[in-house]
Parts: sequence; C-alpha cells; structure tokens
Amino acid sequence: MPVIAVENLKYRYPHAEALALDGLNFTVEKGEFIGIVGENGAGKSTLSQALIGLVPQFYKGAYGGKVLIDGRPADTTPIAELCCKVGLVFQNPFNQLSGAKDNVYEEVAFGMQNLGVPREEMHRRVENALKMLDIWQFRDRNPFDLSGGQMQRVAIASILVMEPDIMVLDEPTSQLDPQGSEEVFRTVDKLARSGITILMIEQKIEKIAAYCDRILLLHQGHQIAYDTPQKIFSRPDLEELGVRAPAFTRICRALGATLPDGSYPVTVEEAADRLQRTDALPPPAAPVPSRPVLFEIQDLTFSYNPGTQVLHGINLCLDARPTAIIGQNGAGKTTLVKLLKGLLRAEGGSIRFRGEDIAGKTVAALAAQVGYVFQNPDDQIFRYNVLDEVMFGPLNIGMDEAQAKEKSRAALAMTGLADKETSNPYDLELYERKMVAIASVLAMDPDVLILDEPTIAQDVRGRQCIAGIVRTLSEQGKLVLAILHDMDFVAECFDRVIVMAQGQVAADGTPRQVFADAEALQAARLDPPHVTQLCTRLGYEGVFLTVEEFLTACGCKE
Amino acid sequence: MKSISLYIDNGSWLCRMHPFTKLAYIAAAISVPLLAGRLWLFAVFIALSLAVLASGHLLKRVVPLVAFSFTILITIFLIHGLFNQQNRDILFSIGPLHFYREGLLYALHIGCNVLNMLLSFAILVLSTKPSELVEELEKRGFSRRMGYIIISVFQIVPQMMGTMNTITDAQRSRGMETEGSLATRAKAFLPLISPVVMSSLINTRERAVALEVRGFAAKQKKTYLADRTPRRGDKPITIVLLALIVLAVIWRIVQCL
Repeated sequence: MPVIAVENLKYRYPHAEALALDGLNFTVEKGEFIGIVGENGAGKSTLSQALIGLVPQFYKGAYGGKVLIDGRPADTTPIAELCCKVGLVFQNPFNQLSGAKDNVYEEVAFGMQNLGVPREEMHRRVENALKMLDIWQFRDRNPFDLSGGQMQRVAIASILVMEPDIMVLDEPTSQLDPQGSEEVFRTVDKLARSGITILMIEQKIEKIAAYCDRILLLHQGHQIAYDTPQKIFSRPDLEELGVRAPAFTRICRALGATLPDGSYPVTVEEAADRLQRTDALPPPAAPVPSRPVLFEIQDLTFSYNPGTQVLHGINLCLDARPTAIIGQNGAGKTTLVKLLKGLLRAEGGSIRFRGEDIAGKTVAALAAQVGYVFQNPDDQIFRYNVLDEVMFGPLNIGMDEAQAKEKSRAALAMTGLADKETSNPYDLELYERKMVAIASVLAMDPDVLILDEPTIAQDVRGRQCIAGIVRTLSEQGKLVLAILHDMDFVAECFDRVIVMAQGQVAADGTPRQVFADAEALQAARLDPPHVTQLCTRLGYEGVFLTVEEFLTACGCKE
Repeated sequence: MKSISLYIDNGSWLCRMHPFTKLAYIAAAISVPLLAGRLWLFAVFIALSLAVLASGHLLKRVVPLVAFSFTILITIFLIHGLFNQQNRDILFSIGPLHFYREGLLYALHIGCNVLNMLLSFAILVLSTKPSELVEELEKRGFSRRMGYIIISVFQIVPQMMGTMNTITDAQRSRGMETEGSLATRAKAFLPLISPVVMSSLINTRERAVALEVRGFAAKQKKTYLADRTPRRGDKPITIVLLALIVLAVIWRIVQCL
C-alpha cells in the first residue's frame, strides 16, 4: 500500500474564486524522495498543507477528492494525530518557532514533549539532530536571535526529532549558503534511505534533479506530470510552465546528448558521461570600463557585542559596476551593507560615500542616494494600496506628488506589478510583496541600490525580473550591490563578485576570476556555478559562467 | 534579544530551589503576619526575605525594586502622618507640619505589608525561570493553553520590540525622519505601528499553524525535558512554611473565641 495516496484532490481557499488545487492524482511509496516543482502560485505550498490536514481543517474552504496518509483520510483525521505521521517544515522558519522556548535545545524538543516522548529519548534525539544539522554550537542561543539560515536548520531539526514517517519540506534551503543547502539535501537523502518518505518543494532545480526519485510538476493548481527527473526536465514546454530545466539538461539538449531512453541528462555526472570535451574556450575578458567610485571603505571593523568582532578590517572600493557579495551564513555580509547604509555605525575605520564620510549623516539623509531593500517586505508595508506604498519613499525625500507618481509607476512597471497598482499589498503573495518592497526603493531613484537576498521566494520569472532591474540600473550608471546565495544568478548578472568569509574579504574580482579561485570558494563554503562545475569535470580550461556562454563557445545556440 | 524576565541564572542555591517551595514561602510571608496582626512579625519576615536574598546573591538586584517602592511609601507616610482621620497625638513637628502617631502607625502597617510582599515576590521572580514555574504548574494540571500564553509573552514581547527596530530601520531607509520635533514623531507613528500590528496578526495565525504541526493539541500525556526532582531541602521547608500558616490561623481563631 502506498504511504500517500492523493485521489482527484481539489481545493479552493475561502473567498477565492479559482481552485488552488485542481484534480491532483498521485501515490508515493515508502522511502521515496519526491520533488515538487512549479512556478509561484502553482499550488505547491497548498499541497504541502493538504498532506498534513491543515487544508482543509485549519484553512477551511471547499475541498474535494481524497488524501490518504497510510490509509487514513487527511481531511478528517485530527492534525494532532496526523502530525505524528507527517512532519511539515514551513517556508518561513521564523513562523515555525514555538515562541515558548528561549533556547535552541528546548525549542527543538518542544514537539516531542507534546507527543509524550520519554526524557532520555528526547535528549538523545535532540543531540543527534542538532549535530546532524551542524547547529550543536548554537544550542544555548535564543532561537529568535539566529540568522535566517540558522533558523532554517532549527526548523528542520525540530520536525526531524518528532520522527515522522513522512516529511514534507517547503523550500527548506532558501536561506542557506550553497554548501549548507547541499548538507541539508544529503541529510534528507539519508533519511529517505532509512525509510522516511520525503516530499520537498524547492526552487534549486539542479539539486532536486540530482536527489529526487520522482518529480511532481504543478502549474496553476493542475498536475502536469509526475515522473522521473529525466522525463520531467526533458519536456519541451517547461519554460512556458514557469520552470527552468537544470543547466546540465539545457546544455545536453542544445548539444543533442541524450540518455539511452531518449531523455536528457539532469545531473552533472550524467551530463559529463554523455559529453566530450571540445576545444571551446571561454570568451576573452572584456575590458572593464572605468566607472566612478562611490564607496571607499577603509579598515572597517564592527561588532554587535564587545569581544566578538563581526568585521575585521574591511578595505574595499566600490564603483558603479553591478556587484555581488557572496559568502556563507554569518560571514558578515548583511552587517557590511547595513554599515554602508548608515543603519549601523562603524566601530573603527571609515566609510566614504562620494568622498564624504558618512559617519555624520543620518539614515534619512542618505536615503535619497543609497536605497536598501530589506529581506522581509512585511517590515515596511503600511499602506492599503500598492501605489501609495511605493510613493511613500519618493514623497519623503522631497519629490512632488506628480514626480513621485511618475517614478512609482515606472518602478512598478520594472518589477512587473504595473497591473497591481490599486491592490492591497496584504492581498498579494509573498513574492509579489517582495517586489513591492523593491519598487518602493527603486521609485526613490537612488544612486546605489542594495538588495539583501532578493531571489529568495522568486521563481524563474521573478529572477528574470530582478536580472532586468540589475541590468537597467547598471546601464544608467548606478551601483547595484546584492547579497546572494544563488551562484548561477551571480554569474549571469554581475560584473564584480566579493567573497566574504569570517568577516573578511576572501576574494574580489570578476566572476571569472572569483569562480576560478577554488581556495577562496572553499574558505567561504561556496560552490561555483553549475556550468563551471560541469566544465571542470569535462576538463575544460578556463571558467564558463553561463549556459549561453558555453553553448556559444561550442558553436550552437540554446 | 533582550529578555523581559528579571530572572538570571546565577547558580545559587536559590535558583535551584523548586518553584513551589518559593510559592509556599510567598504564601507564608504574606499570610502569617496578616493573620497574626503583629507588626514585629512583618519585621521578622522582611528580615528573613533579605537574608534569603543575600545568601542567593540577589540583594543587589532587589535594590531598584525597593527604591521604586520607597517613592510611593514616602507619600503614604506623608499623607497618613499628616491627614489620617484618627490622628490625635502629635509625635513630632517639622516647622508648621505636625506628624501624628496614629497616622504614622497606620502608614507603617501599610509600608511593612508592601515591603514584605515585594521582597517575598522578589525571591520568586529573581530566582525562577518563568518557563520552569509554568512547567511545574502544568505538571499539576494547570491548563496547557494558559501556560503557553504566559510563557509566549516572555518571548513574543522582546521579539516584537526587535521587529519594531527593524521596521524603524526600514522606514528610515525610505527617507522617513523618526527623530526631531513632536510633529515629526507624530507623522512617523503610522508607518511604524502598522507593520508591527499587521505582521503580528499574520504571525499569530502562522504560529497557530506551527503549534498544530508540532502536536500542541495532541492528547498524549506530555513529557518534560528538564529533570527537576525536588532537592533535599524542598520538602521540609515547604512543610515548615505551611505549618506556620496553619499555626497562624489557629492562633487567630483562638484569639477570636
């Protein structure tokens, strides 16, 4: 008997007109690792909540069809009983914290206490889980004080210790650095091998392709396909469905390298097996046009608590090239950009903006020149329609009504929200609210735009939109400074990459230089872009950064 | 994150005492002098509380609490010493102000009572982790939902204060002045408070889901991570304290007969 059987599942949220899920049919066997992919709004998160009975028991709404967990219907079995069988890790780890425990150790044990697990057993499981997820050293910290990436690990651990038969994970690695996500995937894979059934929603398509047994492809609430990764990613209509095939698949498709059954390889190993090294070379380094210097940072030091320094003497000169800051969780990236924005005050050293020391300026005074988009859009939204929300900043910095409206409309067009002007921001989905936050800073027309992990929660379309913003601003001679964990995106869109590790600059240069520096990447626990990995495996010299670049060098178009 | 609980684990014997022993002490310290109605008993318990706090290395932390209560106590002494209805015998005079014996005695009663309550509660509050107390109460049948609400306040309030800071930063980043004249601050009120309220509402809903998922409503008997077997001293001390209360009650009844 399958552990999960979904039969013609249909669901509509209360007060909604469209079906969030429409006619889903699939079964999952014990120990399978299933990936769920699809663009934003495809119904992935709703499905994950239907598997534990939150849909419809908590959210109400109209429900049809059946979800059977070990033969028991998920819509009528109380969640309190289902949660022993099915564990759900939320997209936003912050909301998964119980709010009743003041240290990580007890937080992780919270669920087990509710289920009545004996004390000795609780200690054993907590210790195992914390060590497995590499957060043992934070066991005495307050869970609310952790960084996003660390919190995400706590959220996974706190469900893991309840030892459910089925684990449903909703983008569990969105805030983790590349090697951190790899570790989580490996851990989850180990669990699958030990007989736990895994369903994972994920935007990191290369990882999903490498680890999953089968993939469920959703689009606007419909089940498009349920098949092996090779079959799914060989579909010609993927882009129209808002999903991008793994870089390896795109390369093999363009070069016509197929597997015996006619589908295309999806992992780096499969692709390397099918491809031969050619004598293609990466394009020569383009001359870097000299751009005006905006920030001069000298010997910058900073600490939140005396004794534990976060930044150790940073020296950087930032000009108007689009610049990405990469590095592992907790390397000091956000701290650095907050200092640039004047939200934090430097402890030692100096920051000059256009030759002037920013120490004497208030944040509001810098606002017109330096724009900073916060990670969580809900920390700033307070108006009842999108246009007013976006106009708040421009009006603050002294634009008149007409000009503010014009700039705001332009910003909304750039972020793909032109038709949402009159919507209430709180009615929008998280990925749209994130775009509202970006638009509200763009509308102020700053010379510097700082983005803190803008690609989180964005699908292919959202990423293309952000790539467009980076390109446009760069053409206007403005500096875009972004903190990112998505190396493919960095390689595609940025001219300069700064690698940070343990509060220091570990490497600084063009993407091609930085991604060739294996030592610095290792120190910062980063992986090179997927294309670069494939080419290294095939023995190419030099670094290819994007699929397009590689294919052009090989003499064919994607 | 800043804690709003006054508890700090300083490793003293007082911190390791069972919370119920401290509750029993509060009950005895408050009820015995009141039942007996003798002023010297207040003095005994105040001295005892101070001694306990001193041996638990908490005396320094109780000073601000006492100092704060003194500002109120002094006004009580002034008002009753000068204007109490029963005032007859002048005890002393400062210039034109006459302080009366009856009023001052009455104020002394109130003062001792307040100080006594304050110090005995201070023992509990300064040396007990709130979650420990609630957990022990839950074990004895206190509602789990109520327990969660009490404990979550200690977590959610500081976290909301943290969110408030982030929101201030986000709005300042959008060019909003948050410092300066009253008018500037008044204008900043809405952009600061709306996101706090809205995100709290959203978070509350999500947290309710999170609790469900983590088995909060499960029917099983709950277990507890911390092993708090009562220490050797807990039982005899509790018995002595409860005996004192019983004695005071009996004494009071005998008095009335």
